[in-house]
Amino acid sequence: MDSNKTALISVRNLMKGFGATKVLRGVNFTVLPGEIHALLGGNGAGKSTMIRIITGAVRKDDGDVVLASPRGGIPKIAVVHQELALLPDLTVAENIALVHAASAATLVRNRSQAARAHEALCLIDPHLAHHALHRKASELSMHEGQIVEIARALSTGAEVLLLDEPTANLTAGETERLFVVLRRLATEKNIGIVFVSHRMKEIRQLCDVCTIIRDGMTVIDALPLTHLSDNEIIHQMGQPTERSVERDKRVLDQAGGGVVLRGPETSVPVLKGQILGLAGAPAGPSRLIAVLNGTAANADWEVDAKDWPKRPTSPRQAVQLGIGHVSGDRRLKGVLSQLPIVDNVLASRRVREGRHLVRGSERDECLGLVKALKLKAGSIWDLPSTLSGGNQQKLLVARWLGMPLKMVVFEEPTRGVDIGTKREIYELIRNMAGQGTIVVWWSTENVELLELCDEILAFDTEGRAKGLLPQDQFNEDALADLTGMAA
Amino acid sequence: MTTKATSMTSNDKTAPPPKSPSLLSVYRSELAIAIACVVLLVGVGFFVPAALSSGNFANILQASAPLVIMSLGVLIVIITGGIDLSVGSIFSLTGMVTALAMANGFSDISASLAGLGVGIVFGSINGALITLVGLAPFVVTLITYAVAASLAFIVTNGRSLGVNSPDYWLFNSGEFIPGLPNFILFCLIFTVALEFVLRKVTAGRWFYSVGSSPMAAYLLGIPVKRTRFAAYVISGTMASFAGLLTVSYILNAEATAGASLMLQAIAAVVIGGASLSGGSGSAIGAVLGALMITIIQNGVNLIGINSFWQGSVTGLAILVAVLIDRFSHR
Repeated sequence: MDSNKTALISVRNLMKGFGATKVLRGVNFTVLPGEIHALLGGNGAGKSTMIRIITGAVRKDDGDVVLASPRGGIPKIAVVHQELALLPDLTVAENIALVHAASAATLVRNRSQAARAHEALCLIDPHLAHHALHRKASELSMHEGQIVEIARALSTGAEVLLLDEPTANLTAGETERLFVVLRRLATEKNIGIVFVSHRMKEIRQLCDVCTIIRDGMTVIDALPLTHLSDNEIIHQMGQPTERSVERDKRVLDQAGGGVVLRGPETSVPVLKGQILGLAGAPAGPSRLIAVLNGTAANADWEVDAKDWPKRPTSPRQAVQLGIGHVSGDRRLKGVLSQLPIVDNVLASRRVREGRHLVRGSERDECLGLVKALKLKAGSIWDLPSTLSGGNQQKLLVARWLGMPLKMVVFEEPTRGVDIGTKREIYELIRNMAGQGTIVVWWSTENVELLELCDEILAFDTEGRAKGLLPQDQFNEDALADLTGMAA
Repeated sequence: MTTKATSMTSNDKTAPPPKSPSLLSVYRSELAIAIACVVLLVGVGFFVPAALSSGNFANILQASAPLVIMSLGVLIVIITGGIDLSVGSIFSLTGMVTALAMANGFSDISASLAGLGVGIVFGSINGALITLVGLAPFVVTLITYAVAASLAFIVTNGRSLGVNSPDYWLFNSGEFIPGLPNFILFCLIFTVALEFVLRKVTAGRWFYSVGSSPMAAYLLGIPVKRTRFAAYVISGTMASFAGLLTVSYILNAEATAGASLMLQAIAAVVIGGASLSGGSGSAIGAVLGALMITIIQNGVNLIGINSFWQGSVTGLAILVAVLIDRFSHR
């Protein structure tokens, strides 16, 4: 790398707090033209907050952010966020062309729009470019949406690309093609690329240098990746390198209370107190989960057990039967945002036990749960928005705690929570299983499944069940192979 | 409405168990509206001393009763994140149906029940189209608004209809409890009952849950469709009841009687602190909002300002209320 390059992005001693919690406590970060820069750190370390400050979506509290283009002025920055940011009612072509319109008064020209979008999509997925241009974004699968979004960012002619876990929903092949494009952009067009990922293999494959953020502070500042071993990186991120908890050799109750999940390709017997992991892209696990929590209209899975309907007809029936559900999509599917914490915690109990009146004793019940979960709340009459993301997630788990349940279904319960909270949620999951509840747990982080589950059912990217791994065959490569996801 | 309680830390073992939030902190914004009502009244009294007479207070309460009851119904719909534009037309049609039934020899009670039937039927139609067919509340209630309004003309071919039943006025101004006119009694019963349901009954909490986060509520096993359906039936029925109250007071039914009430009811709910995006609001707030609108009308009349200004003053009051609400939460 040339030494006399001026930095595209230069962040010095950046500070940011939300309410009482300090998210950034002095972050340094530099991006040079032509480099592919890995930005690493655990969930909640502050990566996303920093990216949002750089792009102007969030205001900084203190520190310097200098953006400088070699051509003078502020460089054009394109971002691919973790959460999809496509406009659902517009077509793929319109979504891509949107960022090219010079002003609000620019006339919409369908043909040039389509041509431009086609060209952009061809960079990564010629097949999708051919078929999806005129489909609405809402009709795309999560994984197609991700490709469209990456294509849009690539096509903007930006001088800096910020990619926040862009490969989370991609297959190995697509990831490969994306990397080729990124390398070409870096070497030929001298673009600075920031790549956020949790996957060590990808980082080594693609990136030149890395910056590691931990608890809102930069601990490794732009060090070439060749200087660091995998273990050093994990250590610097503050993540335990070994399994922190000894896996207890639980003797599962073979006698009764188990169920058999029957799918189109396979049927999976699950015992009482067993933790069944679901691995792979969303398509497959979400179909099975929809059957379990009663949201599936016409699904291809069914439950085979005594005193259990093949498919609950509604979430209401599922809850009344004793099937709990925790979603990772807190905003839409989790928190009752306008209701105080106490209502949030007790809503499912009121339904399950058919309570008609809000009892005085519910206050103590809620306080007990809040205490058991070490939930940091000002008051149980505050709104959930006063809680941090991790505490909101614990709130969702609290709904099902200490209730006799047949089954709990977790849908990415650790998405976007920090490592400490993750550990606590793992512990809660383990305890629920210990009390004889069947735990079904979908996660896109294979590592956590391998750590906690008794068995893992792997789905490929098309949503087909590919195989059931018993605990003695757990291994990251095998799982990556079965799911077809980049490991 | 948010309720900020005294601070407590869940880990601190020595701390005393937290108290439930005090009534003052729960009803903070309602208290602000009540104070604003008093200030308005005193302001009017500054120009026209008669405004502060007990006779005028009675006038205000009498005039506000139908709006209070209609607002309570609209409140429930707004809490669930919906809107009900049909209440004014239901109010008018109820009056016409009741008066027509009496004119055709039905007893007070059966004619009143027929009138209430208007609200139940139209509320159910609203609820069914919204929850079962999945149409937008604004569109559905716009349709029933138009249909009920035209039916109100059709039933008597546009003529207004007097009520000749000699005792029907008792329904409004009589006193089941000596010293407490019935229209006040009805308002009190509805307000207290609704406030209790909204705060202390599980199904009442469901209205908020559905309005706040419908998807989360659905996954929690809350019967979202039934809850929303109930909201529209309650709203329609309350509008009908308000219509009966007015007919029994003026002993006359007119096809346009409720024309201006729908917007006033929505305004009352908004002044009372509810958010049109759903999930918040209280019965006491809505009642105070309705009172405030009536006080403004009363004041404009007393001071002798051209009554064309009423709308502007009400608009200003809504703006002030919403601004106060916005800045007291941020």
